[in-house]
Amino acid sequence: MADMRDGSALVEIRDLHKSYGPNIQVLKGLNIQMMPGERVVVIGPSGGGKSTLLRVVMGLEQIQGGSVRFGGKPYISAKGDKTVIDTELRKQIGMVFQHYTLFPHLSIMENLILAPRKVHGESRASARERGQKILERFGLGAKADAYPSQLSGGQKQRVAIARALMLDPKLMLFDEVTSALDPELVAEVEAVILQLAESGMPMMMVTHDMWFARNVASRVIFCAGGVVVEDGPPEQVLGDPREERTREFINRVFHIKA
Amino acid sequence: MDYTLDLGAVTRNMGPLMDGLWVTLQLTLAANAIGVIAGFALALLTTSKLAVLRLPAMLFVEFFRCTPAIVQIVWFFYCVPMIFNVFWGPVFMGIVALGLNLTAFNAEAYRASIQAVPREHLDAGIALGLSPTQRVLNIVLPQALRNSVPVLLTNGIGIFQQSALVAIVGVADLMYQGKTLATATYRPIETFTVVALIYLAISYPVGQFVNWLERRQSYS
Repeated sequence: MADMRDGSALVEIRDLHKSYGPNIQVLKGLNIQMMPGERVVVIGPSGGGKSTLLRVVMGLEQIQGGSVRFGGKPYISAKGDKTVIDTELRKQIGMVFQHYTLFPHLSIMENLILAPRKVHGESRASARERGQKILERFGLGAKADAYPSQLSGGQKQRVAIARALMLDPKLMLFDEVTSALDPELVAEVEAVILQLAESGMPMMMVTHDMWFARNVASRVIFCAGGVVVEDGPPEQVLGDPREERTREFINRVFHIKA
Repeated sequence: MDYTLDLGAVTRNMGPLMDGLWVTLQLTLAANAIGVIAGFALALLTTSKLAVLRLPAMLFVEFFRCTPAIVQIVWFFYCVPMIFNVFWGPVFMGIVALGLNLTAFNAEAYRASIQAVPREHLDAGIALGLSPTQRVLNIVLPQALRNSVPVLLTNGIGIFQQSALVAIVGVADLMYQGKTLATATYRPIETFTVVALIYLAISYPVGQFVNWLERRQSYS
């Protein structure tokens, strides 16, 4: 059955191993198959490998074993000591990080159009026009000529999302994008992600916000100790987990929140 | 102390001091031209992954950082003509000696600024599909160069002050002219005070400008 699904999976992660140095093993044989249109939220304890998983999928990390296929094609694989990454496939994936990564020397608009111009050779005028549309869609139409230092944290993260969307990604990765924000700014960023979710954008995200996870996810993966412990619809994993470790984690998290 | 100040002894002889100041400014500007350009090239070498490029560059930097400037200048003026059999004018020799010293210090300023660019920005560059060269040209260097400006200016005005050392090897700069004038007029207090005030009058505004620039950058 697995072979039948291979062809149609958007992301297929097989037996992924990742360690930092000889002693710190973060991912220990992780398997995930993500279908097109899915919105996967990865939850789990700190150090469980969630962020590392996203960074691997973005092609930012060397891996020690296993492989990742994207859109049915070989994308990342470990060949001996080397990690082979198809950088053309990588361009179809967008990512927003926990820490602000807008380039401070460029205006908001210049941040948006840098990659479309350099990577796709799009004209300045055309990129600006698209950029303005996306900014307006995210309620940032008046900020095109501002600089990142003039924006609030929530605005910066919305711009970071807009910047990634400029490249028409086939998959968006969100790595704890609201963790560094003041509580009152979280909602505006989550609203933008929900808006994207409604438009059908496939996404994989790490978040500590269980309320948000429940709202946005079509599927929740509980990751601990470098492997997938539980994987299923949000109602199951968050509401009625089958695995004892998931249950403990969910109880602890919701207990703290209550 | 029975001493009557006679500033006139200096003010009547401002001509030689101004000639000396002109030489000092030439030394400073030319050494900075060398230091700003060669320092950048050297910084790229010290951050290279290739040991053949990196190690000699680091040795160069450490040599200039770990020896007194006065020793470098004296060594340069005496040893370079003997070893390489070249004889340049004293001002040119001074420019090269100060320029090499500044190159080493500026290389460190550039290197620190390059390494201060957050790693996350490079990750974002990869996520945006930019090639390694595009990441360096569009993300790393613009930020690094901007951040390095205050340190480059501080180093540059430092070399303006250090340039007084070349008076020892006979370059007719401001300090040298001051020494000559003090000896000729028997007025060391007045002369060296005026010389110091001239250095101060130029260094102080630049220092203030750097402070202003740093404040402005920290807001952005």
